[in-house]
Amino acid sequence: MSEEIILQTRALSKVYRDFWGRQKVRALKGLDLEVRRGEVFGLLGPNGSGKTTTIKLLLGLLFPTEGEALVFGKPASDVAKNERLGYLPEESYLYRFLTADETLDFYGRLFDMPSDVRRQRIDELIEMVGLQKARKRQLQEYSKGMTRRIGLAQALINDPELIMLDEPTSGLDPIGTREMKDMILRLKDEGKTIVMCSHLLADVQDVCDRIAILHQGELKELGRVDELLKVADVTQIRAKNLSVDCQRELRDVISRHHGELVSLDNPTTTLEELFLEIVRDSEARPGRRAGVK
Amino acid sequence: MVVEQQLLPYFQWLLTGGEKSLGALPSFAFVFLGVAMAALVIGFAIAASRYGFLRGGDVTYKTISEGLRELLQTSPRRVWAIARLAIKESLRRRVAVALGVFFLVLLFANWFLSTNHQEPARLYLSFVLTASTYLVLGVALLLSAFSLPGDFKTKTIYTVVTKPVRAGEIILGRIIGFMIVITVLLAIMGVGSYIFVVRSLDHSHTVELESFQVVANPAGEEVGKKGTTSRDAGHRHELTLDKDGNGETTVENGHTHRIESLGENKYRVSPPLGFIRARVPQYGKLRFIDRSGAAKDTGISVGSEWTYRSFIDGNTPATAIWTFDNVSDAVDPNVPEDERSLPLSLIVRVFKTHKGVIGQALQGTIQLRNPDPAANGLTSEPLSFDAQDQQVDDFNIPRKQYSQSRQEIDLFKDLVSKDGKIEVLVKCLDRGQYFGFAQADCYIRHPDGSPIASFAKVCVSIWVQAVIVVSVGVTISTLVSGPVAMLFVVGFIILGFWRQDFVDIATGKSYGGGPAESVVRIATQANVMVQLEDTLLNNLVTGFDKYFAKPIMWAVAQTLPDFRSFSTVRYAADGYNVPWDRVFQDVTVCLGYVVGLSIIGYFLLRTREVAK
Repeated sequence: MSEEIILQTRALSKVYRDFWGRQKVRALKGLDLEVRRGEVFGLLGPNGSGKTTTIKLLLGLLFPTEGEALVFGKPASDVAKNERLGYLPEESYLYRFLTADETLDFYGRLFDMPSDVRRQRIDELIEMVGLQKARKRQLQEYSKGMTRRIGLAQALINDPELIMLDEPTSGLDPIGTREMKDMILRLKDEGKTIVMCSHLLADVQDVCDRIAILHQGELKELGRVDELLKVADVTQIRAKNLSVDCQRELRDVISRHHGELVSLDNPTTTLEELFLEIVRDSEARPGRRAGVK
Repeated sequence: MVVEQQLLPYFQWLLTGGEKSLGALPSFAFVFLGVAMAALVIGFAIAASRYGFLRGGDVTYKTISEGLRELLQTSPRRVWAIARLAIKESLRRRVAVALGVFFLVLLFANWFLSTNHQEPARLYLSFVLTASTYLVLGVALLLSAFSLPGDFKTKTIYTVVTKPVRAGEIILGRIIGFMIVITVLLAIMGVGSYIFVVRSLDHSHTVELESFQVVANPAGEEVGKKGTTSRDAGHRHELTLDKDGNGETTVENGHTHRIESLGENKYRVSPPLGFIRARVPQYGKLRFIDRSGAAKDTGISVGSEWTYRSFIDGNTPATAIWTFDNVSDAVDPNVPEDERSLPLSLIVRVFKTHKGVIGQALQGTIQLRNPDPAANGLTSEPLSFDAQDQQVDDFNIPRKQYSQSRQEIDLFKDLVSKDGKIEVLVKCLDRGQYFGFAQADCYIRHPDGSPIASFAKVCVSIWVQAVIVVSVGVTISTLVSGPVAMLFVVGFIILGFWRQDFVDIATGKSYGGGPAESVVRIATQANVMVQLEDTLLNNLVTGFDKYFAKPIMWAVAQTLPDFRSFSTVRYAADGYNVPWDRVFQDVTVCLGYVVGLSIIGYFLLRTREVAK
């Protein structure tokens, strides 16, 4: 991660008004943020906390009431910034009468990509999101997961430096969620900067380097995920193949040193891990009942 | 054909304009500047109310400067991408249904259209072209008004505007896309219409042998035959055959047939000829002489509210005089020089103050005169004609003429002045009866143009109207929802069709005042001729109209297209060639609207919060 600031907001505020100009709701209050090149930044918060408003302000889809949003050092309203930016909206707002090929071709043209470059990029992306068999089908025939994948592909058509993902895992099954998270990490490895907003805490925890927690339009917490989640006064020991005697000795050691034993037991796996293992096993041995240990 | 406004040559129209009008380009510049200034003031007022005076000014400046910069960054590939999307969207929205409706209308049209009509071609052509116009305008309206609002509703616009696509490209791309859809629709409808008209009017006759009468010369030798054809399609023709049995029929219902002898009393009658024509008129300048012999600009009024034509009284010195320029014997170069004639056409509006002899046409005369003072008013002998009300009478005035002193003169050498001018004098001979004329009622007839080309030019004029509707629809739909955009465009079309009335109200030419005064008149049941009482309320109302409503109406009228003048359906229906000047003018106006509205649309979309 470099020190170069890709995205910045200064006292960014947004007030939604009605037709007569009366204030309806103050969606964002004086947000100050900086996102550096190469990091995965998460905007976290409950529904209505201002996450999506922030993303829309950064994209220039909304105009700030006060403050400013800068992307690549330029105002968010500058269309030229979009050359280096990819955006996956909350729901894949795509033209449902187009096929996957036509969709990517359309968005490729909007980047003024020459025909041969466009063709090659479309093939790469279709393969990357695994839609080879469905590339000639209209999007209206797609499942939610497929629509999400083509949505991601369109966001990446220009090989962007900055990718904004609005609820990237919403509506996806656990496999899709895992694939999306893997994809985000792969993009991070490629040096992309990613800004995502989500209210699915586990997803954010898995992929984000830094997070900002918003509530009622205000920034409540900002920092590195590992630092924020670190519980300083608790020590975690994870070991394999310990005998009962060994475990007893450990209890004694803790007791001798006046420590408080919080728990000493066998951990459970996550439901996500269990589900993915069952699916993988089922795909490897079709027709057999899963025998997960 | 009625020509209320003289058609100016293209470059004159574009640059300098006519006597009472400004050139199109200066007019466009004035309107453009006016709209730009108004937009600047309104834009600044909104920005200042939102962000304060200084920041508002900064925002306004940035919006304009970025707009100019982005204009230069317009990418044809992006515009074409949006245009392709618009085409695909149109197909998805079943635009082809319009074609189905059109062909369904044609299928049943023959139930209501009769070939047994004085001018069936006029009936058929005006029907198919009017049907095409309304259908295409309807399609243009629906496509353009609901397209962008649809994107806003489904939020697909989010994924478009977050790409480096400029607002102007979104507008222009959509206009071009719908323009292509309309072009294809219109091309199919045009070809379908032409085939429909030609096939519907097609008929033939047989020669009725029992009607034949021998035509002999003074020496008693047979020189041909006269007779009639069979009665088909509600009419029959009289025919004249030469010695070999070949000939032509008389004109009935606007057409003739050629007859060819196949020997042994067998004849072949050709399909109808001259149904669909494209006359190429050369108009002159009209002036009048009244019954006392005094020169006048117009004739007398017979009480008609429509002052297009004015009248001359019969059996008096009253004369209608047309002066034509650039007259030579080369009007029809295919005819041998000594057989050349002056092809003249005349339309007479007959106004009778008494019945006269029932069934007998009024009589008139045509004379030709050399306008050169040096020719001492050399005038040809009167040529008399039967005046059929509102019919186009074609004359071929032979070059061999006689002066009023019975001396043989040559039409092109003696009656045409050195600078190529000739005067045509028309009089009515019947006492107490009147002939009415407008400038376009007498013209020199050049060889007909191609009817198909003329028909295609009419389709271009329909296309122009549809493209303007599309441009307005796309532009306004950046701001409001689909149904509101549709209502706006419908209002725009209605105002465009009645633009002149709108202008007349704005400039005070119409009786009854402005909109506020009209409300008072309706409420108080005071008709337009009644003077309103001098009360404070009435003064306020008329003041409001005078200083507020009418200036706004006048300003709006400057931006409205005159839809009625775009329609060239009457050219095809009346059998006239659509002049290229007309086509170029219409296409230029259309281009002006596309450019102007794209710029307005750009700023409307650019300053709109897409995600709101």
